[in-house]
Amino acid sequence: MNNPDENKKEPDFSDVTSGSSSTAPAPAGAAGTRTYTVVAGDSLSKIAKKMYGDANRWKEIWEANKDKVMNPDLIYPGQELKIPGA
Amino acid sequence: MRNRFALPALVLLAAVSLGACAKKEPPPPPPTPIPVATAVPTPVPFKVTTVDLGRSIGDDKKVKDAATTFGPKDTIYAVVSTEGVAPKATLKARWTYGAKGTLVNEESRDIAPTGPAVTEFHVAKASGWPAGKYKVEVSADGTVAATKEFEVKK
Repeated sequence: MNNPDENKKEPDFSDVTSGSSSTAPAPAGAAGTRTYTVVAGDSLSKIAKKMYGDANRWKEIWEANKDKVMNPDLIYPGQELKIPGA
Repeated sequence: MRNRFALPALVLLAAVSLGACAKKEPPPPPPTPIPVATAVPTPVPFKVTTVDLGRSIGDDKKVKDAATTFGPKDTIYAVVSTEGVAPKATLKARWTYGAKGTLVNEESRDIAPTGPAVTEFHVAKASGWPAGKYKVEVSADGTVAATKEFEVKK
């Protein structure tokens, strides 16, 4: 007998937008460094939309993460990306 | 004859008396300053003190509208209060959904606190949050500092 919950489709959280701010200053030389962890359904443009409100800024994220993202169309859930200047 | 010697004697006596008066004891040496131990404040180590959830925050970034139950269209804030000093500290908020702990969002922010500070993380979902139970786990420098549960109801 199957548990009906197991057949339920996982909710899609790829359209979740997020942000953060602090009363504390940023460390020297790292103005507001943030990281973002890729979730299922994400793309660099979706992440740019979430983090900057502008999907066209995906290249900035790619440039900051070229050491781990060789192909901008291939990112994986759980990957931690630097979000520059955010 | 008596008068001839009386005047100089008086003058001499007056001079001796004046001299005696003028010759005062030398002032005591100033007291040697006693070294006073100066209290050097010990830097408070950086730590998370509280995590509060709410629907909105004020200019001071503190929760204005505290809540643990949210609607599908709410923006959910997790406000992290910290104390202490650190040249660099990383705060992370990991939001998960349901018993399986499906990752909703994970974001971190580097700060250099110089005392008490407030850092807010927020999430929103334009298409609406699925109803159910959620958790936000806040960690500081990789160590989980607090976990808060909340619920979204239709």
